[in-house]
Amino acid sequence: MTLAASQKDFMAQVLDEDHALPDGWSARHAAGLAIYRNNYRTSLVEALRSTYERTASYVCEEAFRQAAVHHLITHPPKSWTLDRAGDGFPDTLRELFKSDPEVAELGWLEAAMQRAFVAADAAPLDAAGFAGATALFTEDDWSAMQLAFLPGTALAPVEHDIPALWRAVDPDGESPSQADRLDAPMHLLVWREGLKPVFRLIDRSEGEAMAALLGGTSYGDACAMLVDRLGEEAAIAQAGAMLGRWLHDGLIESVSSPAARG
Amino acid sequence: MMNTISRFDGFGLGLRRTHYADFLDGDVPVDFVEVISENFMVDGGNPLRVLTQVREKLPVILHGVSMSIGSAHGLDCEYLRRLRALAERIEPLWVSDHLCWTRTSAHNSHDLLPMPYTEEALRLVCDNIDHAQEALGRAMLFENPSSYLTFPEDEMREWEFVAEMAKRSGCYLLLDVNNIYVSAHNHGFDASECLRALPHDRVRQIHLAGHTDGEIKIDTHDQPVCGGVWDLYREAVALAGPVATMIERDDGIPPLPELLDELDVARSIAAGTRSKVAA
Ligand SMILES: [Fe+2]
Repeated sequence: MTLAASQKDFMAQVLDEDHALPDGWSARHAAGLAIYRNNYRTSLVEALRSTYERTASYVCEEAFRQAAVHHLITHPPKSWTLDRAGDGFPDTLRELFKSDPEVAELGWLEAAMQRAFVAADAAPLDAAGFAGATALFTEDDWSAMQLAFLPGTALAPVEHDIPALWRAVDPDGESPSQADRLDAPMHLLVWREGLKPVFRLIDRSEGEAMAALLGGTSYGDACAMLVDRLGEEAAIAQAGAMLGRWLHDGLIESVSSPAARG
Repeated sequence: MMNTISRFDGFGLGLRRTHYADFLDGDVPVDFVEVISENFMVDGGNPLRVLTQVREKLPVILHGVSMSIGSAHGLDCEYLRRLRALAERIEPLWVSDHLCWTRTSAHNSHDLLPMPYTEEALRLVCDNIDHAQEALGRAMLFENPSSYLTFPEDEMREWEFVAEMAKRSGCYLLLDVNNIYVSAHNHGFDASECLRALPHDRVRQIHLAGHTDGEIKIDTHDQPVCGGVWDLYREAVALAGPVATMIERDDGIPPLPELLDELDVARSIAAGTRSKVAA
């Protein structure tokens, strides 16, 4: 067997305890292999637990361990960085905790906070900076304007009061047994203030507009979405208020307009 | 020809999150710190800020766990690019990783998996080291790992493999004395014989750590250095001469003063050994 083939086989042994031992391997080999397999599993479950510490506390230790092991079997890690071993884990939680959808929402928040924590450093645009950047904008420029949000900014729809759940869960101790449902679906927004990841709930129209802008939609098209949802007058007020909040919170890194000249 | 790595005679600790404040706010009596490279191969944020500030006070060693230098599937170019960027930013004493493999083209075990000690594996490791040293623009140190099994196809002993690896690739060695102790127990070889057979002029750093006892000893880095490892350290210092020594503690991390006391034990053993060698 070539080294490439034997490493592939060894990896299969590490990932799956039912994989047959190579020819000529003894019980001593099997005992050694069991240590590697256990190291792999323990360190990855630990890595997930450290990113998803509140989720682990909320669903209880054993249920979390089972979910983590399930995730490792269905999504064996591919990247060199342990930070990415939890990629897709909120989806696994959604699937495993079908009748408790707040679990996946809490998991999403923890993952987004972790990503924001190590996102690239960038200085946010303040109101004066924004005014300067858009001073020469024509009507067309405004409508074609693209907003670049600070690295690490992330957003997801939620149906539960996840900020309250986050505060109520003690990663090392007691946790509430359920989460409050929101009166209406909202979006949960995560970004970084200086070195510190933070979050807040935003209403659905703001969330949808921001999701579109994060996906590269122009400001004009995002405003058109608002008009469809809120009507013209309310949309104009909402668009102005949103932009003001985002600048105030330091969410916007830069603005540009493909229509702008010179 | 890769650049050479000068000897650095000093005593250091791993920089771990629980001790960030000690290192940022005070003057910790160490000569260097070692960090796990991957924890800082990120885009930005607090970890890099902390490391940059600690670097203003102390020399730093970048110690990696994910290069997978023994991988038959080659090295990950994105990984090498990020590591180079970190090294250029931090200007470390040196960059190290382990003689092991962690990944195939499809999966990553995040564990230090063992190499068969064959000529095929040796050629592959040396090719990969050439690639890594070229990509980083600097020579590296590689560490002897703890292992829990040996392969039926082995053609040479671990120390023969390591010596040949250093000779062919021009890399330097990070001698983990605890790993020798653990592997010697697990595979029934003589730890001192192994130590004596390694090329001492290539050693630039020594790791000390604790392990978990059992029929197969496990390299857990979660307890103090044991007596047998201190004895082996005495022999290692006599053979390798003045090199950097550091204590690895990754789990059950005690308050800093406890680790500093342990480091003082290393200092006094090294001082005693050297005065004896000089006399
Ligand atoms: Fe080590």
